[in-house]
Amino acid sequence: MDASSTLLTEVLRAQGERRAFLKGAGAGLLAASLSSARISYAGTEAPPPAYRVLTPPQVRTLDALGETLLPGAAAAGISRYVDDQLASAEPLLLLKYVDFPADSTDFYRQSLDALEQHSQATHQQAFHALAMADRIAMVGQIAQQQPEGWAGPPSQLFYFIARNDAVDVCYGTEEGFARLGVPYMAHIAPPRPW
Amino acid sequence: MATREQVDAVIVGSGAAGSLMAATLAAAGKKVLILEAGPQRGMSDLVSSQIWSRRLKVPAGTTMTGGRDPLSVGFASGWGTGGSALHHYACWFRLHEEDFEMKSRFGQGVDWPISYADLRPWYDRVQEEVGLSGDAEKEIWRPAGAPYPMPALPVFAQGEVIARGFEKLGLRTAPLPMAINSVPYRGRSACIQDGWCDSGCPIGALANPIATHLTQALSAGAEIIHDSKVSRVLTTPRGDRATGVEYYDAAGERQEIRADVVILAAYVFEIPRILLNSREGGLANGSGMVGRSMMAHTTSNIFGFFEEDTDNFLGRTGGQLVSQDDYAKNLEKGYLGSSSWLIANALKPNDLLGIGNSRVDLFGAPLHEFLQKAARKLATMTFVGEGLPDPDNRVTLTASRDRFGMPMASATHQFPEDSVKCWAAGIERGKQVFAAAGATEIWTGGRNQMHTMGGTVMGRSAGDSVTNGYGQAHEVPNLFIAGSSLFPTAGGVNPTFTLSALARRSADYLVENWSTLG
Repeated sequence: MDASSTLLTEVLRAQGERRAFLKGAGAGLLAASLSSARISYAGTEAPPPAYRVLTPPQVRTLDALGETLLPGAAAAGISRYVDDQLASAEPLLLLKYVDFPADSTDFYRQSLDALEQHSQATHQQAFHALAMADRIAMVGQIAQQQPEGWAGPPSQLFYFIARNDAVDVCYGTEEGFARLGVPYMAHIAPPRPW
Repeated sequence: MATREQVDAVIVGSGAAGSLMAATLAAAGKKVLILEAGPQRGMSDLVSSQIWSRRLKVPAGTTMTGGRDPLSVGFASGWGTGGSALHHYACWFRLHEEDFEMKSRFGQGVDWPISYADLRPWYDRVQEEVGLSGDAEKEIWRPAGAPYPMPALPVFAQGEVIARGFEKLGLRTAPLPMAINSVPYRGRSACIQDGWCDSGCPIGALANPIATHLTQALSAGAEIIHDSKVSRVLTTPRGDRATGVEYYDAAGERQEIRADVVILAAYVFEIPRILLNSREGGLANGSGMVGRSMMAHTTSNIFGFFEEDTDNFLGRTGGQLVSQDDYAKNLEKGYLGSSSWLIANALKPNDLLGIGNSRVDLFGAPLHEFLQKAARKLATMTFVGEGLPDPDNRVTLTASRDRFGMPMASATHQFPEDSVKCWAAGIERGKQVFAAAGATEIWTGGRNQMHTMGGTVMGRSAGDSVTNGYGQAHEVPNLFIAGSSLFPTAGGVNPTFTLSALARRSADYLVENWSTLG
């Protein structure tokens, strides 16, 4: 048996392990798994690093939006992910793929501010302070049609990008694959999630 | 500004075509320099992650894209060693005979300056060099050619359930021909079916340029300089002979390199950008065709849930099977165009083509539930439809400039109506296939585009094309172009095999006729 045959055998074995995992994976287990994915600095003496691009209000808005788009996204680090990428020389956010003709940081700042302004204008409350039902309704609205008075990049594009960011942090990592019962099978494992 | 020692050939771009040209010329004893705009990458940089692999695509800010059906720059491009071929899916098809003779046979589009018979020997040679897996007999639509050097790659549950639908409708499928090793080939490993093609294959099973021609080129003495952005082809005052290229190095310093032959093998948007920036009115642009006739394939995915597990994480990103029962062009269909199905693409949860984006309308708890189910039960196949040539689909220069002062490009594109009809008919058939296969739910993605082609098309006449059949500029005999930008028509298949066969033919022509060019 050559090396490739051995590897293929491992792939097929992983397939079997995946099926076994799925038999035991109920909704409760998955919810607990996402909850435990929280990026935590507890237990360390150093405070969490400051955000480098997003302001505290923008972080609150993005965390709340992430929770609305995919519950668990805030705990999985959506704001850290976006902030880390925007602060890097080479952001690896999905925004890179849509040929948006302006700066990535401006896209996020302006979109988050537009969402916040829309929430204040329609509900007289910050987006993160809205009841989940109201947040869901608002996200559904911006996904379908840009609200009148929206003062940012196209709201449908923002929905699409933020939703992808949420999927990235929840399911685009080795832990995320495991939550779906999908064997990761890395040739070269990423040194960190992002 | 510094001027390096003159070389025999300077090649702009280290992707599939540029690397093949470099390997051939270096093996023939020519002094070859490759200028690559992006950073140096090796196999160890091909990290298995849909997030990390976004490094392999060009950063934003070189080409603005618009029109009713905007061409994709960011997703399909390459950035660094190996260009876009470093992350390509390796679905390697031959164009069909009729694709070369669209105008003669159907009265629309244009003819190529060469026929399938002209190109066939180079298809055969390249597939032997690179290594293709497939089953030529089962591919009943395949034009004449040598059988594949490797047996077909395996088919998994996702491919089997979809093939069931084709069979029930009396349609046929065959193993997808791929530049991916089904068995060890010429010192390279066999594929392990983990579906990470999109992130780059670091084991060399997929024939990216680092695994194949680029390494051969460097072994034969070619040199490559990374982070070198070519801005112009330098010429004699009359513009009838190339003398080298101007580029900006990693430090942002302007440099020049003199060369007997200049080969532009940069990405499809960059070649017209460089030519238009090289000279007032554009270099090699007496026909006015530089930047024109940009084309793409229409595409959408058919998605479906099935009762059985589909194991959609197994296989290759490009797919497991192909069907071309609707490839033949026939005006009685109500449109002119060819199409193919790439069946059973390996899936990952995230990214542009990930499971999550198969239902962009879902969010919140329903998205979790969908992803959990889709990871086990989802199957998909990808439509590839011909985009007809239209000179009004074009790349132009804008007033905006990049950090080197080079004008940015703007690409506008709209699919001709025949291409939209071809796509619509295909999607209806695709849904019928999934229904026949027993899908419990069926849905489709919106119309999109992929595989950008054209912009510096080849042709018989200097009056309506940029190069001849060898990629040699009509007006600048020592300037060659390589890549899908040469295609006069798009066909209904992925372009990398054809652009590689064209590059192989051009490279052999260059070696044989060097004394008349240098």
